[in-house]
Amino acid sequence: MIISVASGKGGTGKTTIATALALSVGYCQFFDFDVEAPNASFFLKPDIKHIQKVKIKQPVFLTDTDKSFKECAQFCHYNAVAIAGSEVIFFSELCHGCGGCILVGPQGSVREEDVVVGEIRKGMVSPGIEFFMGDLKPGTMRTTEIQNALEKYIEKEKLVIIDCPPGTSCSMVTAVKNSNHCILVTEPTPFGLNDLILSIDLVKELSIPFGVIINRDGIGNSEVENYCSQNNIKLLAKFPYDMNIAKSYSKGEAVISGRPELKEKFLDLANKVIKDKEAE
Amino acid sequence: MKICISSSGTDLDSNVDPRFGRCPYFIIYDTDIDKFEYFENESRNAMGGAGIQAAQFVVNKGISTVISGAIGPNSFKVFNAANINIYSGVTGTVREAIDKLKNGKLVLTPAPDVQSHSGMGRNS
Repeated sequence: MIISVASGKGGTGKTTIATALALSVGYCQFFDFDVEAPNASFFLKPDIKHIQKVKIKQPVFLTDTDKSFKECAQFCHYNAVAIAGSEVIFFSELCHGCGGCILVGPQGSVREEDVVVGEIRKGMVSPGIEFFMGDLKPGTMRTTEIQNALEKYIEKEKLVIIDCPPGTSCSMVTAVKNSNHCILVTEPTPFGLNDLILSIDLVKELSIPFGVIINRDGIGNSEVENYCSQNNIKLLAKFPYDMNIAKSYSKGEAVISGRPELKEKFLDLANKVIKDKEAE
Repeated sequence: MKICISSSGTDLDSNVDPRFGRCPYFIIYDTDIDKFEYFENESRNAMGGAGIQAAQFVVNKGISTVISGAIGPNSFKVFNAANINIYSGVTGTVREAIDKLKNGKLVLTPAPDVQSHSGMGRNS
């Protein structure tokens, strides 16, 4: 079963909750799909065993000939190629690696080269958590490329927990799309509610069963809770605001360490979500 | 010589547009025959690389000089490669800009003046 932990608004506690869930259960696959700003490893502290570079193919234009590359510039839908006289100006950050310019350009004068856009890291967290994360090379924009490489390691017969990027754009969709259940983490504030509604619309669109967790309960108002009850949305749990938890977090400590009641609460949450899936 | 000016409208009394890649119109003025044409900027709705596509349009038209309110790093790169003169930071009407150029009152722009994407999200 694949459980994704997402949010609309950033900073609501996805990673806190996803890592706590994994540590409470103890045996699962854990994926940090926020490859632009991965942070789960700070709390899980995995023993990394394997690093794999993620590459895409990009063109190299051999301009020391009389050939014209105008076709390449015209073809490129992403405007990654411009021509000025005999010079080819290539914008690699816009290139999506489709290989079209190689096909339409002068035979043999447009070659391919591998460009590293990031890496995948795999490791273990005791007692039995298989840990996977992606790390995008700063400055490149190939987020989903890294995520697609990560996705290959998902074994859906196992319990899989996916820590998603915030928001509702491409990278979050890629992270949630294969999940059997999505936990939406929010905070009880107007921004929290606004962005929760956006993410609910998205998971409904993708037909993914979901539930809501209110984190840092007490810092705002009851609008989120009211919204959930008025719209028949499952409220899975509420975690009260706690300065001590904030302090633990800022030291990179897993929030359940030294807090057995909290660990119990996360185990209950995991069981609830798994049971709900079996009931479907 | 042919000059290309980013414009908010379709004639010489329109204002020089503060953007290049996503401006609504380009006005091309030929100083040899004292005539102008306007073109709708088809790059303005490009998903990405609007500046590049717009600069390619300018290069393909055989322009030697570009006047605009601001030029970003991508179009700047293309103009440099094509040896096209850039005068940016220009305000006022298109007519006034052309006069200033003719009277040597404009200063060549040595570097891009804005970041990528600064033309987006404004009064388009």
